[in-house]
Order: sequence, then C-alpha cells, then structure tokens
Amino acid sequence: MTLLDVRNLRVTFQTETGPVQAVRGVSFSLGRERLGIVGESGSGKTITGRAVLRLIRPPGRVEADAMVFDGQDLLHATDREMRALRGKRIGMVMQDPKYSLNPVMTVGRQLTEGLRLRDGLGRADAGAKARAALEAVQIRDPDRVMDAYPHELSGGMGQRVMIAMMLIPEPDLLIADEPTSALDVTVQAEVLSILDALVRDRGMGLIFISHDLRLVARFCDRVLVMYKGRIVEEIAARDLMAARHPYTQGLLNCLPRIGGPRTPLPGLDRSGAWASGGAP
Amino acid sequence: MTALRQWLQDPSPASRRQARLGQMWLAWLRIRRNRLAMAGLVIVGTLLVVAALAPWIAPHDPLAQDLTRRLLPPLTPGNLLGTDDFGRDILSRIIYGARITLYIIGLVAVTAPVLGLLIGTVAGYFGGWVDATLMRLTDIFLAFPRLILALALVAVLGPGIGNAILAIALTAWPPYARVARAETLTVRNSDYIAAIRLQGASPARIIAGHVVPMCLPSVIIRVTLDMAGVILIAAGLGFLGLGVQPPLPEWGLMISSGRKYLFEQWWVATMPGLAIFVVSLGFNLLGDGLRDVLDPRSAAR
Amino acid sequence: MSLIEVENLSVTFRAKGREVRAVEGVSLTVAARESYGLVGESGSGKSTILRAICGMAPVTGGRIRIGGQVLPTPRGRAFSAQVQMVFQDPYASLHPRHTIDRTLSEPLAIHGVAGSDARVVQALTDVGLPPSFRFRYPHQLSGGQRQRVAIARALMLQPAILLLDEPTSALDASVQAEVLNLLDGLRRDRGLTFLMVSHDLAVIDHMCDRLLVMQHGRAVEELARDDLAAARMATPYARSLFAASADRMLEPAGGATE
Repeated sequence: MTLLDVRNLRVTFQTETGPVQAVRGVSFSLGRERLGIVGESGSGKTITGRAVLRLIRPPGRVEADAMVFDGQDLLHATDREMRALRGKRIGMVMQDPKYSLNPVMTVGRQLTEGLRLRDGLGRADAGAKARAALEAVQIRDPDRVMDAYPHELSGGMGQRVMIAMMLIPEPDLLIADEPTSALDVTVQAEVLSILDALVRDRGMGLIFISHDLRLVARFCDRVLVMYKGRIVEEIAARDLMAARHPYTQGLLNCLPRIGGPRTPLPGLDRSGAWASGGAP
Repeated sequence: MTALRQWLQDPSPASRRQARLGQMWLAWLRIRRNRLAMAGLVIVGTLLVVAALAPWIAPHDPLAQDLTRRLLPPLTPGNLLGTDDFGRDILSRIIYGARITLYIIGLVAVTAPVLGLLIGTVAGYFGGWVDATLMRLTDIFLAFPRLILALALVAVLGPGIGNAILAIALTAWPPYARVARAETLTVRNSDYIAAIRLQGASPARIIAGHVVPMCLPSVIIRVTLDMAGVILIAAGLGFLGLGVQPPLPEWGLMISSGRKYLFEQWWVATMPGLAIFVVSLGFNLLGDGLRDVLDPRSAAR
Repeated sequence: MSLIEVENLSVTFRAKGREVRAVEGVSLTVAARESYGLVGESGSGKSTILRAICGMAPVTGGRIRIGGQVLPTPRGRAFSAQVQMVFQDPYASLHPRHTIDRTLSEPLAIHGVAGSDARVVQALTDVGLPPSFRFRYPHQLSGGQRQRVAIARALMLQPAILLLDEPTSALDASVQAEVLNLLDGLRRDRGLTFLMVSHDLAVIDHMCDRLLVMQHGRAVEELARDDLAAARMATPYARSLFAASADRMLEPAGGATE
C-alpha cells in the first residue's frame, strides 16, 4: 500500500543571483517501510524531507506533478489542513534536539501540551500517555525526565524525547532527518532499534535522511542516493555496499576502514556524466 | 570608469588594498540597493550640507529680532516657516541649528559608544571581578535618570555646550556597555577566539581585533536609535539653562521656548520638532542599512 | 625521548557548586613524529585533554610536558609556535568577519614575522586552496575549504605538534577523505606530531600509530594500530566500542564485492 507518493518534486530558491534549484525532479513512493535518503550536504535530501511537510518558506518554492499522502493532495492542501497533518499524521525528528525542544519548558509540559490542547485530554490522562511514550523509547525513569528541562538531558536522551514527542499522536509517517548523527555509536544503536520496532509494530512509514551510507545500509529497506538535487540511484539497502553507480561507489570507497592500507584514501571522482547534471 | 569598476569587482584581488577597496565598493552597492538606507543617507547628507552652507542658504540672520513681525504663521512672504516670539525667522534658525545639532551628535557619537564598547567588551571578556566591578559601575550610572545625572554633571562642570556634550556622553555609555558585554559573552567561548588565543594574541589584541567587530553592529544600531534622545537631552539641558545658551538656535531650545504658544502658534514648537523627527528618522534608517552592510555574510546571498 | 608527556592528568570543572571530573588520572606519551589517537564517546574527556594541553581547561592534578619542559601558565608565545590546534567545527573556528587573509596573517603579526604576503599565499597553496581565495570571507567557503583554512592557520607558525579535535566529523565522507589525506601528507612532509581526537575508530585507525580508548574521563586501554585491526583488546569496553564499529572494518560482515 502506498502511503506517500511524490512525482517530479522540484524546490527552487529565489536568490539575489537568480533562482537556485535545490531539488530537481525527485520521484519516489513509500509504503509502510523504511526508506533511506542519503547524500552529501547540499544534495537536497533535507529539503526533500521538508518539502513533503510543506515546511519550505518563501523565497523557496515547491512544485511537483503530484505529492499525495494517503489519498490527500499535499500540494493543494490549505495551511490549516497541513497543520492538521503535521505532527498528527506526519511527524518529523530533527538532527539536534537542542534546537527542537523549548528550553524554558519542562519536557513533561511539552509532551502533554499537544494532548491537552488538541485532544482535550485531562492533566492526568495526558501525563499517563506521555509517560507511556517515554517508556516506549526506552527511557527508564520517565518521571524524572518529565520534570527535567531540555538542557538537563544528554544528547541521546533529548533525541529520545523528541522521538517520543513525535510518536504520541501515533503518526502514519515519520520523517527523521539525521536523527542519530549527534549521538554516540552505542546510543545510536538504541535509538535505531526503537525506530525499527515502531515501523514493525505500528506499521509506520519512515523516511530516514542521513549522510551515513553504512548506517542506512544496515537500517533501511530501500535507499535513494541523492546528488545535487537528483536521485542518482535507487537500490535495496542490502545491495548498497555493492552499488553500481559511480557516485555511490565513490562515496563508499573514500571511507577509511579499520585495518585498511595507509595509502591516501581515494577521492570522489566527479567527472562522470552523472555529476554534470544529466539524468542518471 | 569601467576599468576602475572592474578593478574593484575583481573576484580575486591581487593586494590587500584592492581587496579592502573592493569590499567598500560592495558595501556601497549593497547600501544603494537598500532604498530605506538610501533615504537615511540622503537625510543625513542633507543635514551635513545644510550645516556647512548655513550662512549662504539661510534667508535671514537667525538672531535678528523684529518684534513687529513676531509669531507670524508659516508661508508668510519672507518667512517660509513663520517667526517665533521675538520675530526671528524659524527656517533660518533651523538651518543654523543644524550646525549645533550636528556638533552635539557628532561629539556624543564618537565618545559614548567608544567608552561603552571598551567597558563592555573588557568586562565580558575577562569576567570575574573585572566584570563585577565594571558592571556595578554601569548599574550605578543606569540607576539615575539620564537627565538628572547630566544635570548634576553640568552643575559641577558649569553651563555651556561643551560641558553639556561631556555630560551627555558620560550618561549615554552604560547601555552600549551592556549591549557590548552581552555580545562579548556569546563570542568569548567560540572556537575562533580560542584559536586566536592559542596563537599567542594578547587580550588587548583579541578584544580590539576580534571581539569588537562582533559587537559593533548592535552598538551602531543602538547609537542611531539614541540620536533623537541625545538631541532632546541637549534641549532639556538648554531649557534648564545649563546647556546651549539662548539666543543660540538649538532645536531643542526652540521647542522649549515654543511650548508657551503650543495651542495658538503651534508652528513655533512644531517646526524644530519636525526637524528633530526627520533627522532622527534619517539616522535610524541609515543605521539599519549600515547593520546590513557591516555584516559580510549578507553579501553572498 | 617523548615529545608530549601527560602524566596523571586530572581536570575538574566547577559550576554552580557542582564538580564535574572531566579527566581523571590519565597518562600518555607521544614520541616525536608519532600520530596518537584518543577515542571515546562524548563525555569521555578526550577533547578536554587537548584543551588542558592548550591551557584552556582547569587542570587540578598531574603534569603536562612538551619536549621535557613543564608548560608555563599562561602558555605564552613560545608555546604557540610549538603547539597548534585544529577544531572540530569549521563553521565556528574561523572569525566570521575576517577575510581568510586576515585569519592567516594574524598569527604572523602577533609573532612579528615578516613577509606575510608571500607566506599567506604559500600557506593556501600548501593546503590545496587557490590563492584567489585569499580575500574571501569564511561564509563564501564550503565546510571542507574552511577546514583547510583552519589547518593552514594552525601551520602558519610552523609548529611541531598539531592537536586535532575531531577535524573531519563535521564534513562529508568525500571531503573527509580529502582532509585526512591532506593531514597525512603534511605530517609526512613536515615531520609533524599529531595528537588526534575522534569518535570514529576507522578514522583513528587510518591516521594513528597508537591510540588510547577513554571512557568517563579515564583511560581504558592503549592499543597499537595492529592490535586494533586484529581485535586484540583486553578490556570489555574497548571490545564493545570495536564491535559497534563493525561496519567500518576492511571487509564488512555483509561481504562487499569489488
């Protein structure tokens, strides 16, 4: 079943030096699976994620032939309809929890605010639901975290709170933009297993945006490799390490490896036809 | 001309001088694109020209009294903006007053922000007891209403325009120190300050060369916003007989003397008030534009 | 004789009446021309050791010697000419309102070195940047280009020791490879000594001869490069860190095809 269908998505930013195309014709569809979008900085992967939620502000402009989420046209939805979708049916987790949580509000208040305002739950019910969400992301002492301010939490804890917050309304689609890049490897593994369980148990769709090919190969079902606003390769995640496309191969080869030779690392050859802007 | 422009716009300048001139050229282009800033520049420029050419463009002697022609309304032949209670031409007084206003603004603008920047950045950079001492001093100055403090200072120093300016400058620096300290605290622990410290730079060099440029934009905005207040405090001191002395045509003094006739002969106070308004607006617009120009990051976009 | 000797170093931060022991009794020695790595998760105190060497962290115990000399406090100019640092975030380590030229010539001006024009151009060429970049501002450069400028700045005073604090963790993979190659080449050509911090075992393995695994401010285990590749660790923590980096091995478990 298709949850999200995007056809020929284009995002243009109007700048002083003329229009800049950040995303140039990206098409993909997503079922209840884990879709990875990888690419280097400036490849348009973050913009793609934000464009789906219509979070691109002017001077940015979003165009597409179609952008449909569960039967609803995202391109022509009103701002009010988009607000109803955001958070409730489509959640988003950003890279750095520090900038996504309100620093002067306790975690508990931020978690329950939506429940009480939107769903009209009472204080006790909202609190119980928030605590359950924190437990779902493997936070062992939810009561302490509920009373804490964001700066009192470690990076991993903050990121788990962010995920909990996004999961309370039980969205059908979660867009996670580099959700683990700021975390240590061991914490990273925990956060990933939480996301994994959610996709499996709740049948949620997940768009996982990352620059880390190895991580995406391990964690996702399907991977889109982006370069300069285009998808250069779409590949099953388990085949990623054996990717045929020169760009994907180049990205893999330039990573240092434990036990590898001390010779200079191979650079990324950008002379191929794919780099100059032709279709892949 | 085109050769010069090309030389200025060369993306890879050959020398530091060319790079600096190129930057200034870019800044000029940027301020020219900003319509409001250009309006501000035109107003401030007009003020400068009017002050410089006052004896040639003023239709009358600003001090010449003519009691037969007192309190004439605007648009009277010979007195475009009317006359005041001594029959002096208001337009001429405003034109000459531009000189005094410019003198006050200029001196305050070069003294108070410099003092405030120095105290604020030093306090913010060193922290600890230096910070505590300097900031308590700032608080003491901030605790008194500015006019009262200026009054006390002028009372000690004696009346006159020079002492009035000194008094205003001495009471105007604390807000700049506060702004500069706040900015310094945000840059103090940044990596680029750590890097320059690691290069062996002295605190004086770090503050002057690396911290002050980061504080300058917000201080400049503050200064331009304060200009109207400075003019008014100068007027207040003049009104109390402690600043500019009558019959000198200072704008604030003109407003206070026109206060008596506000309801029947409104123009006596309104015309210099409009002059103050336009000049402060000009400084504000220019300040806003300067902030954009001073930030090289805005150039690329 | 070792060039860098850190002996029983402790660093304690005090804030709001609370004490945070960032580093506790860590000792390490780095020989001249050696490349030494510090690995650990965030909060393990690895970056704090670099800052302590530079005199930017409150040392509460132990000794740091460079070339056999105990370092003076504050560090002074002689130290600047001997030890320099490259920071993690290239977006935060260059002054946003100074041109590249100003950034690179500032150390020369501080130390009264003549001929800064030629030296700045040379320094840019050495790190693989065209001289036309000289009068640009940091915001006009990409992350990798900025990090090259930061490396050039660190080398302006021709120090013997370079402290590298996660120099490539903010960069893309392809740019990371370029910067690592650049650092490796500079070390070979100039006989530099590296003390490098990273959370990425593969980067440390590629760059360093020996490494120290750290956790919660303490040294866990010192490993030679060969021991790491052969998974010869004695402590469980080092082993778990290694296991978490399994996908960074030369031949991943999935079996990459060439």
